Amino acid sequence: MRPNVARLPVPAIKGVLETSFVDWPERLCAVLFLGGCNFRCPYCHNNSLVLHPDGLASLGVEELLHRLAPLKKWLGGICVTGGEPTLDPHLPEFLVLLKEGGWSVKLDTNGSRPEVLAQLLAQGLLDMVAMDVKTVLVQEKYDRCAGRPVDLGRIHRSIELLGASGIAHEFRMTVVPGYHGETDVAAWAANLAGRARLTLQNFNPKSTLDPAVVPAAGFPPDVFGRLCRLLPMSGEAGKK
Amino acid sequence: MPLKAEGKGGLESSVHREDSTDIALFVRTSQEDMLDWDRQRIVDALLRETLIDRDTAERISIEVEEIIQSGKVKTVTGPLIREMVNAKLLEMGLEEARRMHTRLGVPLYDVDQLLVQHNKENANVPHGPEATNLTLAEGIKKEYALLHVFSPDVADGHLRGDIHMHDLGFIDRPYCSGQSLEYIKKFGLNLPHALSKAKPARHADVLLAHMIKFAAALQSHFAGAIGWDAVNLFYAPYLEELSDREVKQLAQMLIYEFSQQAVARGGQAIFSDINIYWEVPKHFEAVPAIGPGGEYTGKTYAEYEKQAQRFAWALFEVYKEGDATGKPFFFPKPLVHITEKFFRTEGHLEFLHHICDVAGDKGNTYFVFDRGETAKISECCRLSFKLEATDFEDAKEPWRMRYSALQNITVNLPRLAYLAKGDDTRLFTLLTERIQLAVKGHEQKKKFIERLMALGEGGPLSLLAMKLDGQEYLRLHRCSYLIGMVGLNEMVKVHVGDELHQSEAAMKFGLKVIAHMNIVCKKMAESTGMKFVLEQTPAESTAYRFAKLDMAHFRADAEPVVQGNRDRGEVYYTNSTLFHVGAPVNPIARVEREGLFHPLIEAGSITHLWLGEAHPDKKALADFVINVFRHTQNDQLAFSPEFTACLDCGRTTRGLHDTCSHCGSTHVDGITRITGYFTKVSSWNKGKLGELAERYRNQGQFAN
Repeated sequence: MRPNVARLPVPAIKGVLETSFVDWPERLCAVLFLGGCNFRCPYCHNNSLVLHPDGLASLGVEELLHRLAPLKKWLGGICVTGGEPTLDPHLPEFLVLLKEGGWSVKLDTNGSRPEVLAQLLAQGLLDMVAMDVKTVLVQEKYDRCAGRPVDLGRIHRSIELLGASGIAHEFRMTVVPGYHGETDVAAWAANLAGRARLTLQNFNPKSTLDPAVVPAAGFPPDVFGRLCRLLPMSGEAGKK
Repeated sequence: MPLKAEGKGGLESSVHREDSTDIALFVRTSQEDMLDWDRQRIVDALLRETLIDRDTAERISIEVEEIIQSGKVKTVTGPLIREMVNAKLLEMGLEEARRMHTRLGVPLYDVDQLLVQHNKENANVPHGPEATNLTLAEGIKKEYALLHVFSPDVADGHLRGDIHMHDLGFIDRPYCSGQSLEYIKKFGLNLPHALSKAKPARHADVLLAHMIKFAAALQSHFAGAIGWDAVNLFYAPYLEELSDREVKQLAQMLIYEFSQQAVARGGQAIFSDINIYWEVPKHFEAVPAIGPGGEYTGKTYAEYEKQAQRFAWALFEVYKEGDATGKPFFFPKPLVHITEKFFRTEGHLEFLHHICDVAGDKGNTYFVFDRGETAKISECCRLSFKLEATDFEDAKEPWRMRYSALQNITVNLPRLAYLAKGDDTRLFTLLTERIQLAVKGHEQKKKFIERLMALGEGGPLSLLAMKLDGQEYLRLHRCSYLIGMVGLNEMVKVHVGDELHQSEAAMKFGLKVIAHMNIVCKKMAESTGMKFVLEQTPAESTAYRFAKLDMAHFRADAEPVVQGNRDRGEVYYTNSTLFHVGAPVNPIARVEREGLFHPLIEAGSITHLWLGEAHPDKKALADFVINVFRHTQNDQLAFSPEFTACLDCGRTTRGLHDTCSHCGSTHVDGITRITGYFTKVSSWNKGKLGELAERYRNQGQFAN
């Protein structure tokens, strides 16, 4: 059924990947990129999505759903990522639309908006959540990674919410030379252990937010492998 | 006087006799001799090699002698004298005689270049003395083929770039072959003129040794791939006594042996493919199994399912590990058949995840989709032989199952659109003519191979003429003849205005073109009794050659449509019926839409998905593969990751990078799939480099 055009929400969907093999563990999924972010992680590689979302045209929701419809029998769901999708005021109604359309939904979030997360969980709009926990929950470290002051209480609350949610979730961390060391990874993992799948991603130096303060390359693969082995449940994301 | 004496033709005249001309001082002959001048040698050569009369020959020899004597040269060479004689023949208008008297050879400068520079026509050929031997021999055999095997219209069609006859330097070999291990299991390694003969193997590792040596022997008799059917199944009767560790060891030996045998055709690895089944294919279920010593084991192959699966699993464990530096193995290429029975066989999902893990990590896995009752042997970059009723009859004695495509001839499609200038009728007429020209080429090659085969075990193709099971190894009456295509996408763009992925109209017209080609092949097959089938040409160098020739001869038409980087000369046409490699078409749409062509292309098609740096999830890949089987008509699928190999620290990392992410060295080489197989990017030809830069790697799409 075609959705009712009149009541279509207008989230700022800036990009789409119709078929991703890497964004949802064990599933083929489509990925929608929402613009805008409240963090300024200097090593973020979605530069324009974070800094200049208004410079990117938004994709029409109707056209997008129309485009994804024929792929439905192939896809295990839709991954909504960003930027930071929970900032978009239209996110809840958009996810309702996706759920009504029969799609499973995965949300990628930095966990800074626990009230939105709580609402989405309560409404049963999420099938999986991947939360970026930027580093150990130590104020100055977290602020440095996020590129601005972060209310750690909110991060804690999101972690708790996911733990109690009963839905599949994972905590991820992008590790960057100069920002994350072995002790950070070990502490991070110890903190989150037993809660969910833990995954590390190696830093990708392409089109970062602040090239002046990030290294020219990620960890050498053997070092990255060693970091991954510090996790209780092994997880080495291949995602860029 | 008859034009040509009966029975005298290419073969005899190709036997090199000493160059015929000498001079008073000295003549350097090609027999490494310095002879006194003797005018009579010119006369003898002209009478032996051409059809001119003795008086004319005498006259020419006198005139040439006068020129040489009037010069100041101290030493002349045989080739120089021959060309002087040829010039005289031309002056006298004796064009046919000049053609027959032609000398095939290579200029000094070219040889010097060749010995030093790397030839990139085929990225599988390394650079070295064996490789340059190959290039020199190929060069001469190619000239020979174009002058002597093919008629002038066919040869000109090739040279102009209307069609491309593949592997002309291998004119005296069939194109490629697929076979069964059962042949050596039953007959041992018993090759004509071999220094020793081996009885059928009693142990798995000896069988492996036989297989490798037979593959090497076959490779020196075929231009292209050497494929093996149901390898894991046919090994199974030898595995019962082996522990899991020993099976793994055997798998490791098999893969390393094939990937490291740089012995064939100019020091290349054997272009090898192994077909693998998780299930016991229906047509082998009730077949009595051959085991150690070439004896029947008393069981049928259905009873060896578990052993066959154990071997298949171990082979993919080895592929997953890669070589000592973690690089993917380039050969043998594993082709896993996905069939209805696959999904009914226990453990298939775990196996699918296992091979998808390899596909995502190293890229080796080929997925071959045999829907319904279809069964195939696959090999080369995409070629497959569909089994027919007679083949299923042969399957009862699987050693009989050996297949060959005798030759491959590809049509330059974009050029037809340039010539048709928007006129449908003209376009289809030209297309039919091109296929007819290709058919003529096939007939001529067939005739030539038949002549070599007629010499039996005493002739040059003795291996293919051996008759261990009563039939010649090369079953000529069962051979197929491939007609390929390059640049459907660009043809359609010129004729309709859009590329294949851009509009329904473009797609529809593309399908019409391929359907027409298919029908013409069928008609030609009926009228000649030869099996003409369409294949998606791998076109490793043809896509570049056609584009380059069209940029030279049809520049105004070609310039707007050739792909690649024109400034760097890295131009190419899109392979066969594939979509533009850079088109941002998602993998689902690509397998579906490209797959619409596959049922029309009987001898093999494939869709390539380039995944770049991303490391796909094995279960996501498996879901995708299952959907391809269930929901599309796609024939074969391969995922292609990319790697960077460091030449300093020797380690391999994911993605194509300028520097090694281990040690930071810039001394690196990229590795990814060129057409069907993985190679080092540094060995690629310019057209392929142009393509690599444009490949769509499934990135997200953003507005503006």
